[in-house]
Amino acid sequence: MLLKDQIAIVTGGSRGIGRACVEALAKEGAKVAFVYKGSADAAAKLEADVAAAGGVAKAIQGDVADPATGQRVVEEVVKMWGRLDILVNNAGVIRDGLFVRMSADDWRTVMGTNLDGVFYFCRAAADVMVMKQKSGRIVNVSSVAADHVNAGQTNYAASKGGINAFTRALAVECAKRNVTVNAVAPGFIETDMSEAVRNKAGDAIAKMIPMKRLGKPADIASVVVFLCSPAAAYMTGQLLTVDGGLSLGASVG
Amino acid sequence: MSQDEIFGKVKEVLVDALSVDDDQVTLASRLQADLDAESIDFLDIVFRLEREFGIKIDRNELFPESVFQGDPEFVQDGKVTPKGLSELRERMPFADLATFEKNPKFDQIGDLFTVDLIVKYIASKLPA
Repeated sequence: MLLKDQIAIVTGGSRGIGRACVEALAKEGAKVAFVYKGSADAAAKLEADVAAAGGVAKAIQGDVADPATGQRVVEEVVKMWGRLDILVNNAGVIRDGLFVRMSADDWRTVMGTNLDGVFYFCRAAADVMVMKQKSGRIVNVSSVAADHVNAGQTNYAASKGGINAFTRALAVECAKRNVTVNAVAPGFIETDMSEAVRNKAGDAIAKMIPMKRLGKPADIASVVVFLCSPAAAYMTGQLLTVDGGLSLGASVG
Repeated sequence: MSQDEIFGKVKEVLVDALSVDDDQVTLASRLQADLDAESIDFLDIVFRLEREFGIKIDRNELFPESVFQGDPEFVQDGKVTPKGLSELRERMPFADLATFEKNPKFDQIGDLFTVDLIVKYIASKLPA
């Protein structure tokens, strides 16, 4: 086990990539608290699934876009398990639409969850990791859509590009205190979030990807585990793209 | 509390905050040049001193951030002016300005942040 008895928080943990991260971290021995907003049934099922597999996972309800949630969750986890070693900021939403029709609400919702939420959780975690423990791992889940943009995603691209820049800047401040901050940029992954596009575009998407398949949540989770493991001890401020080659931009013959 | 006792506790604080060895910390040690302190460490040191000694340290009192902000009245040609030195004397009454005054290069101003400065500052804050 790579992460035996480490204490982790995963936001957006009940479904998709977040769920896979919770399972993968727990499988490596970490005790994982995961934050979910609305999917209470999925959260309860994940708690049970992890327990059945011999791991420890605890669901905590909360909206990451609420400025108080990060502090509350970090305090609850430290009270429960005594420390905090790993933070995976995964919670994310999309509100796609052409820019000329994009409402301020669609902008605010995406920035609030995807970027503000990362700030609130990192801010709370830094008090523990940077100021008290002088150790910790932060992994932010970004997206290839930050740099390889799609029409209709000005809000989403801005939020994920913000995460990438934030990751580098925070890494510099935390480095001396043995807290690493990295990001993962998933490509097209089979999740609820991508379901609408998958239903519409179907096989065309897989054809655009050099590896000829969409990613699974577990493909991302394994890289998150790597970034939290001793193997990545000397990496910080980096963005790892995990997309089956999609962002290479090759015309696939 | 005697100066020696204060120094002993300050030393503990610095060893914990900066992950340095006990014997690296002397009264003459400069926090940046000798003990590799970064800005975040200064913040941490203040928190730890407050806890250790049960005192309140106002922001900018012990370690004034950017004392002059490049004000030309205080700094000219990379050197602190006489007016700047008197400002420093006021802002940092416990700093060893006698040595600094001999060659008051602005980029050496961090050398004023020494362990001795902290000990004298703490002594002034504790009830006699």
